[in-house]
Amino acid sequence: MLSLYSLDRPALQAFAKELKGLLLSDDREGLAKLLELSGSLAGRLAEAPRAIDWFLRADTSPEAAPFFSSLRRIAKKRALTLAWTSEEASLEGRLRQYDILREDGEIAARIDKLLSPARLPWFLVRPGATCGWLDATGRAQLAEDLRRLRATLPPELAAFAEGLQEVDGDAVAHDAL
Amino acid sequence: MGFFDKAKKLLGLGADGDDAQESEGEEHAEPGDRLAAAQAKVAARSVAERSDPRVLAAERAGKLDPRRKDRRPPLVEAAPQGPSVEDALAAREAGDKDGAQKILRDIDRGGGLRTVLRAAAAMEAGDKAELNSLLTAVANEEPRYKLLLQVAAALDDAEAARPYIERAEAHKAPAWALGWAKATSKDPAVVREGLVELVFADHALARTVGARDLKLPGVEADPDAGSRYASFVHGRESIRRFGAKAVAALLDEARKVGGP
Repeated sequence: MLSLYSLDRPALQAFAKELKGLLLSDDREGLAKLLELSGSLAGRLAEAPRAIDWFLRADTSPEAAPFFSSLRRIAKKRALTLAWTSEEASLEGRLRQYDILREDGEIAARIDKLLSPARLPWFLVRPGATCGWLDATGRAQLAEDLRRLRATLPPELAAFAEGLQEVDGDAVAHDAL
Repeated sequence: MGFFDKAKKLLGLGADGDDAQESEGEEHAEPGDRLAAAQAKVAARSVAERSDPRVLAAERAGKLDPRRKDRRPPLVEAAPQGPSVEDALAAREAGDKDGAQKILRDIDRGGGLRTVLRAAAAMEAGDKAELNSLLTAVANEEPRYKLLLQVAAALDDAEAARPYIERAEAHKAPAWALGWAKATSKDPAVVREGLVELVFADHALARTVGARDLKLPGVEADPDAGSRYASFVHGRESIRRFGAKAVAALLDEARKVGGP
């Protein structure tokens, strides 16, 4: 199900900087600490010629999956706060297809941004997942536009509009975090 | 008139006048009448074709195949494709530098990789007149950083590559391009730095470079980065086969006339 999170942008930037620094210096111990790895997982991190090599593997590979999973978990803990979760599996389809929303170029563009994985850092993206980011201004404008249209929206979109109001500042949408 | 015909008419694609009346008339005709009408139409077309001067001329020239009912001329095999950069590189590798230079002259379209290799061949052959006629085009190649990074990656020598990477950085090379050039260095520390930069700039491309260029175990190319990878790698491999040092020397020469 699609969820909305409030994003602490400086915290995410700080996390990305710390992660990049550890990967550049190939500091396995520091990376294990950052990702809260212990035991055999921390040991496995040292097995590849470079730490970065683990993050070139597929997210779904059994060897690398725990590292990607830890990355997302820690990034979420540091920078994201859950604001709302949809109860409707049809929400994404409605957001992408509902004609009243699609007919308004600005609303459609903001929704597309919120559902575009290319707008999130690589460590928050999961293959096949729906996710994206919208800045505070765009999020507030989209929430206001949807509130104005509420009478014409189906229940899942009306609930989404209320969920957007719950978000504080920048919004991240994700269905697999 | 059906829905789609109405839509076509609204779009200006529908039949007008006589044709429209004819088709509407056909729509309401009995099956026997329709067959007769179709036969009459074929006969009329046949007469019209026979009296068409173009058909008569083609018939006289023997270009029409009488065995074919549709009277189309026989299919002619497509002309073979002209020489390519690949042919020029193959000629050089076979030791025929003059032949390669001639091919590069023939295929040059005034810009891009063909012009760059033609200019490098002219420089190598000491043909100053030809080199000077091409140098401005080489100097103005866009994007400005691309050739520098392709040469840097093709040099296979971290020290020799460094100035070209620095020049590319000065010409606003994007992080993914710089990361890629560094990732294919011979210096392990530079490779690591390049891979990290590439992962943060373009994760799909990083995976593809890891799989294809570095052949890292357990890493697979990402189809999302296929076209981005191909657009850079063709130039790099062609420059490597031509001789990266010769192309690097050309870029240094082009710099004197405003190149990056």
